[in-house]
Amino acid sequence: MLTFIVKRLVSGILLLVLVTSGTFFLAHTAVGDPTAGLLGNSATPAQQAALRAQIGYDRPLLAQFWDWLTHAATGDFGTSWRNFQPVGEQIALRVPVTLSVVVAATLLAAILGVLVGVICGLRPGGVVDRVLKLASVVLFALPGFWVSLVLVTWFAIQLQWFPAVGYVSPDQSVVGWLRSIALPSISLSLGAIVMIAEQLRNGFLQVANQDFVRTLRARGLSSRRVTTHVLRNASPSALTVLALMFVGLLGGAVVVEIVFNLPGIGSLTQSASQIGDIPVLLGLTAVTVVFVVIVNFLLDLVLGWVNPKVRDR
Amino acid sequence: MTRTRTAALFAAAAAALLAIAGCTGSGAAGAGAGTDELKAGVFLDVTSWDPANADIGFDGPYLSAVYDPLVALDKDAKPIPALAKSWDWSADRLSLTMHLRDDVAFDDGQKFDSAAAVENLNHLKSGTRSGQAYIDVKSVEAKDASTVVLHLSERDDALLYFMGLGRSWMASPKAIKANSLANGPDGSGPYTFDKGSSQPQSQYVFKKRAKHWDSATYPFPTVRLFPITDQAASFNAMLSGQLNVQFANAANLPKAQQNGWNVAKKPASWVGVQFADRTGSQVKALGDQRVRQAISYAFDAAGILKAVGNDAGTVTDQLWPSGSQVYDAAGNGKYKTDLAKAKQLLAEAGYANGFSLKMPMSTIFQAWQPAAEQTFGQLGIKVDWQNMSMPDYQKNAPTYPMFLAVIAMDGNDMATLTDQVTSKQWYNPNPSVDAFPEVKALVQKAEQAQPGPGQTAALKELNTKLVDLAWWNVWYQADNLYFSVKGITVTPITGMMFPTLRFIQRG
Repeated sequence: MLTFIVKRLVSGILLLVLVTSGTFFLAHTAVGDPTAGLLGNSATPAQQAALRAQIGYDRPLLAQFWDWLTHAATGDFGTSWRNFQPVGEQIALRVPVTLSVVVAATLLAAILGVLVGVICGLRPGGVVDRVLKLASVVLFALPGFWVSLVLVTWFAIQLQWFPAVGYVSPDQSVVGWLRSIALPSISLSLGAIVMIAEQLRNGFLQVANQDFVRTLRARGLSSRRVTTHVLRNASPSALTVLALMFVGLLGGAVVVEIVFNLPGIGSLTQSASQIGDIPVLLGLTAVTVVFVVIVNFLLDLVLGWVNPKVRDR
Repeated sequence: MTRTRTAALFAAAAAALLAIAGCTGSGAAGAGAGTDELKAGVFLDVTSWDPANADIGFDGPYLSAVYDPLVALDKDAKPIPALAKSWDWSADRLSLTMHLRDDVAFDDGQKFDSAAAVENLNHLKSGTRSGQAYIDVKSVEAKDASTVVLHLSERDDALLYFMGLGRSWMASPKAIKANSLANGPDGSGPYTFDKGSSQPQSQYVFKKRAKHWDSATYPFPTVRLFPITDQAASFNAMLSGQLNVQFANAANLPKAQQNGWNVAKKPASWVGVQFADRTGSQVKALGDQRVRQAISYAFDAAGILKAVGNDAGTVTDQLWPSGSQVYDAAGNGKYKTDLAKAKQLLAEAGYANGFSLKMPMSTIFQAWQPAAEQTFGQLGIKVDWQNMSMPDYQKNAPTYPMFLAVIAMDGNDMATLTDQVTSKQWYNPNPSVDAFPEVKALVQKAEQAQPGPGQTAALKELNTKLVDLAWWNVWYQADNLYFSVKGITVTPITGMMFPTLRFIQRG
C-alpha cells in the first residue's frame, strides 16, 4: 500500500509541475504585454513602462519562470498584477466559496444519485426508472446557466426563499451560508445526480444478475443484505464517476459563480483571464491541479479499499 | 429500502431545504427593496484601497465611502471644495494654492493638515495609476499648517477636474509610509469600513461615521456595495430586492419601468471608428479628408445605436459630451447617413473602387463588426480583420490605421481636449495636431484662453473644425444607465463609470 501511495504522490507532483509550466508559457504567449489592459484607457507609455518594471515583466521570460517556480515551491504565488495583493491570499479567500458549492453539490449528487440509482436498480422499468431516463435526456440537453437562471427566477425572485446573488461566510451566519450556496449547489448537482444514478443503476443490474448473487439469495439471505452485497460490487464505477464529477464541477463552477455572483475561484479565473493577470491565473492553475491530484488520490485509496486487486496496478 | 422509507427521506430533505429557505439570513440576502440602507450593485470589485493604485472608473463608490477628497465635483462635473475649502490660481496659472480644512482626522487619529496633504499628493503623483492626473505638477509645498501649493511645469486647466474625479482621496500619511493601504483603507471619509461584516469580492459594508464634516451629504446609515460583473446577475439581485441601486443594462429598461424604478443615464463613452492615421502615413487614402468624411456619411449610426446599443445614447458626430457647453446641438447631424454622398466623396478622392486595409478585432467589439463589415463593403473598402484578445487589442490597435473604438469620455471640456485630441493615448496614438496647422491654432487658442466663456467659445470653434475634418467617425455617445428603487436617486457624472456616494441620495 505504501508503494502505491508514493507512486500516486510522485505522479501528482510531476503533473503539477508540467501543467503549471505549460500554463506559464502559454499565458505569456497568449496574453502578451498586459500593461495596457491593467492600466486602462488613459495610461501613457511611461506609465506602462513603470508597471512593466514594477511587476517584473521587463525581465527575460526564463528568469520570470524560474522566479515563479522557486517561489511557488515555497507556497508564494507572487502578487496580482491588478491590485498588487498576494495571490495566495486572494485564492485562499475564494477557495472556501468554490469548495462550499462544489462539495455541497457533490454530496447532493452522491446522496440523491445513490438513492435514485438503487431504486431504479431494484425496480427497473418502474416509475422512478422512467423518470430517470427522461431526466437524463432533458438535463443533459439544457445548458447549465439556463437551469441556474430558472432556479433564480423561481426561488429567489418569485418566492424570495433564497438570495439571487452573493455569498455569506459560515462564520458570519451558518443559515446565511446554507441559503447562499443552496441554489448554486442544486443547479450544479442536477446533471451529476442523473449521471451517478444511471451508473449505479446499470452497475446494480449487471451485478444483480451474477451467479454469486443468486447463490446468496439461494442461501436465504434477506433482500437487504443481498442489496448491500450488490451495492458494494456495483459501486466502483459510480465512485469513479463521482470523483470525475467533483473535478468537472470545479470547472462547471465558473458558470454558477457568475450567475450567482459568488466570489469563488471560477469567477476569479474569468476576471484574471480578461485582464491578463498571469500570476493569479498561475496560482489558480496550481490550486486546481492540487485539487485534481488529491481527489484522484483519494479515489484510488477508496477503490483500493473496496477492491484490493486495484492496488497492484 | 421500502417505499415508505424512501418517501420519508425525500420528505426530510425537502423539509430541511424549506427550513433553510424560510430562515431570514443575515446581511443582504432577502432583505427586501427598502431604502433604509444603500445596497448598490457596482460593475467591478474595488481595485485597491490605496488611492494611488485605484482606478477612477468603478472604484469611486468604494473609495468615496472611506476617503475624503481634496476636491470634489458637483452634478455638472465642476470642481467644488471638499477637504480643500478653497483655492486660488496664480496669474500665470502655474501655481495652485489650496486652503485646507482643519477639523478632520483620519481613522488612526492623525490630524489632516498640509503635511498630510503633501504626503498624499506626492504619493498620488508617483502612483502608477494616479500619476496621470498630476503629470504637469512639478512639486507640492506646505506653505503653512493649512495651506498647500501645487507648482505646475505647464498650465493644466483640467487638473482640478481630475482631482475631483477620484484622484485626490486623502489617506493617513502613516498608512502611506507603512505601505499598508493595500490591506485596507485608512481615511477620514463619511463611512468606516466594517471589515467584520464584509466578504471581500462579494460584499463591502460601511457604517456612517458618527461625526463627519459633510454628514448631510451622506444620508444612509449603512452602505453595502456589491461587485457584480454579470449584468443578468445584477438585475436578478435588483428584482429580488437584494439591491436598491444597480449599474444597469439598457436591455432591461422596459422591465425597470414596469417595476416603477428610477432610471438615470448620462453619456459615458463614444462609439465609432478612430482614424489613427489621419496623415495617411500608413494608408494614403485616410490622409484625405474626403475619405474620412465618406466613411462618416456611410455608417447608419442611428441603426447601430438601436440594434447594438439598445437605443441608450445619442446619435452625434461630436466627441464633447451631449449636454456640455462645447457640444453643438444645432450643428449636429453633419454626417447624416447618405451612402450616395459617401461614394461620391470617395470617387472625388480617387478611391471609387475603395481600398484595402487591416483592422484589429476583439470579442468586445464583435457586436459592431457586422455593421462595420457591411458598411465598408458598400464603400468597396476591403478590411482584413485581425483577431486578438482585449489586452492585445489595446496594445496593438494603435499600430493600425483605423480601428473600432468604445472610448470613455470626460465631463470636463478641457479634459476632453487633453484626453481625446492633444495627448498620446492608446486610443489616440497619433494626435496629429501638428500636421494640421488650423487645428493646432485652434488648440492653442483654447489652451491660452482664460477659463470661462472665452475658452468655451474657442473649444466650440475647434469642435466644429474637428467634425468638419472627420477627425474621428463618432457614431453615437453611449449612456451609462443606473436603476434605483423609488426613494433613491442617482445623479450620473460623465467621467465616472459609477458615481461616487455623494451622487446617490434619498428622494
